[in-house]
Amino acid sequence: MSRHTYGVSGRKYVVIYRAVLMENLQYAANIAMGFFGYFVFIFIFIKLWDYIYQTPEELIAGYTKEQMIWYVMMTEMIWFGSNTGAVARQVAADIRGGNIAYLMNKPYHYTLYILAKYTGEWSIRLPMYMLLAVAIGAAMVGAIPGFRLATVPVMILCLILGITINAVFKMCISLLSFWIEDATPFQWLYDKLILVVGTVFPIEIFPRTLQALFKLTPIYTVCYGPAKLVVDFSGEKCIEILSVQFLYLAVGCVLMFLIYRKGVRKLYVNGG
Amino acid sequence: MLTAVRMQLRVCLLSVKYNIMREMLNPVTFVTNVVFMILNDAAILVQWFILFRLRGDIGGYTMKEVMLLWGLTAASFGLSRVLFTRVFSLPELIISGKLDSYLVQPKNVLLSVMTSATNISAIGDFLYGLILLVACGFSVSRLCLFLLFTVTGTVIITAFALLLGSLSFWFVRADMLGNQMVSGMISFMTYPDGIFRGISRFLLYFVIPVGMAVYHPVHIMTEFDVKMFFEVIGYAVLLMAAAMIVFYRGLRRYSSSSLMEARM
Repeated sequence: MSRHTYGVSGRKYVVIYRAVLMENLQYAANIAMGFFGYFVFIFIFIKLWDYIYQTPEELIAGYTKEQMIWYVMMTEMIWFGSNTGAVARQVAADIRGGNIAYLMNKPYHYTLYILAKYTGEWSIRLPMYMLLAVAIGAAMVGAIPGFRLATVPVMILCLILGITINAVFKMCISLLSFWIEDATPFQWLYDKLILVVGTVFPIEIFPRTLQALFKLTPIYTVCYGPAKLVVDFSGEKCIEILSVQFLYLAVGCVLMFLIYRKGVRKLYVNGG
Repeated sequence: MLTAVRMQLRVCLLSVKYNIMREMLNPVTFVTNVVFMILNDAAILVQWFILFRLRGDIGGYTMKEVMLLWGLTAASFGLSRVLFTRVFSLPELIISGKLDSYLVQPKNVLLSVMTSATNISAIGDFLYGLILLVACGFSVSRLCLFLLFTVTGTVIITAFALLLGSLSFWFVRADMLGNQMVSGMISFMTYPDGIFRGISRFLLYFVIPVGMAVYHPVHIMTEFDVKMFFEVIGYAVLLMAAAMIVFYRGLRRYSSSSLMEARM
C-alpha cells in the first residue's frame, strides 16, 4: 500500500489533534462537572486507608499512608483524566454503524486518526484533573514525602506513554467489533483489570508470584509506572518503567495495525 | 381503581418482557453481556481479599458482610437498571423534548417512561448479587430478606435517580449533577459504613440515601432489628412518593420540542 493511503506523515495528525483540542476547550466547564465523581473516589480511599493504617508511621508494602493515598490519587487522575470515548465507544460505533467505510478511505490511517483525536481529548481533561488532584492532596493528605520538582518532566513523559499504551490496547479490543457485534464486555474486563489491580493498590501489595505476573500486563505500564514515579521516584525504577513502556507501545502498535488490517478485509457494509 | 392499577402494572411488565425479548434476538451478544458483567463484578473481590489480608475487619465488616453489601448493591442496582433503566436517562428525554410520545399514550406516564427500556448487562449484576448471597451463607430466611431489601434498594436507587432527573424540568444542567450524584451513590454503596465518621456518615444516611438502601439492610441481615426494618421500608415508600410528586410537578412545566417520534 502506498505511503499516501497509509498516511504515515505526521503533520495531518497534528492538525487533527489541534482541531480536537480547540473543540474540547469549549467544553472545559462540562469536564469540571465530572470532578464530583473523582472527589467521591478519593474521599472513600482516604477514609479507607485512614482506617487500615493504625499508626501514622506504619508502612504497608513499603508505603506510608500519604504515599498510598497519593498513589490512588495519581492512578485515579489518569483514569478520570483519560477516560474519553474516542478509543472505545467511537471505534466500536464506527465499525458497527458502517461509518468506518467512509473514514478508512480518507488520506490517513484510521487508527492513528483515532489516537490523534483521543490525545486531543485528554490533553484538556488530564491537566484539569491534575490540578484537582494536587488541590485535594494538598488540602486533605499533605505533601508527598521526598518529592522532587526536577523529576516532573520525566514523570509527564511516563504519564503520556502510559495513557497512549492504554489507548492502543483499548483500541485493539474495540477493533474486535469487526468480528463480534459488541466488544464492550471485553472493554469492561480490561477496564476492571486496570482498575482493581492497577489503580487501587501498588503492585507490591500483592503476593510475590502475582507481582511477577502483573509486571507482564499493561497494568505495570499504564497505572503503576507513572504513579510509582510520583510517590517514590528512583532513577533505576524510572529507566526500568520507561524501557518497558517503549516495548509495550511498540508491541501494542504492531498488534493494533495487524488487527485493523485483518478486520478491514472482513468488512462488509450494506449500502447507505 | 384496583383493576386500573393492575392493568397498568401488567402493561409495564409486558413492556419489560418485550424489551428483554428484543435484546435476546442476538443470543450470543445477550449471553456475553450477562456473563461478562458477572465476571466484571466478581473482579472487585480481588480488592477485598487484599484489604482483608491487611486487616481482619474493614469498618467493622468481615469478608462475608462485605460480600453481602456487594450482593445487595449489585442486585438492587441491577434490578433497577433491568426494570427502570430509562429513569437514568430521564434528563435527556426532558431536555430534548422526547416525552411527547409517552404523554399521548393511554398509560401512566411515569411508569411508561420508566419501563420503556432495559439494560441487559444489568441482569448480570442481579445474578451476581444472588451468587454472592449463596456464597456468604444461604438460608430461606436470608433469601427472603435479601429479596425484600433488593426491592427496597431498587425503589430507593430508582427514586433518587428520578428525583434528581426530574430537576431537569427546571434546570438544564441538572442532568450532569444527577448523573454524578447517582454514580457517587453507587460508589459509596460498595464500601462499609464503618469507615465513614462524622459529617460524611450523616450525609450518607440523610442526603445520599446509601444508608437506607444497603447499610441498614446489611445490619438487619446480620442481626435482625424490627425498628430498622420498618425504617427502611418507610424510607423507600416516602422517597418514591417524593420523587413522583417532583416528577409530576415538573411535568407541568414540560414543553414539547415538536420532535416527531413514534412509540409502539
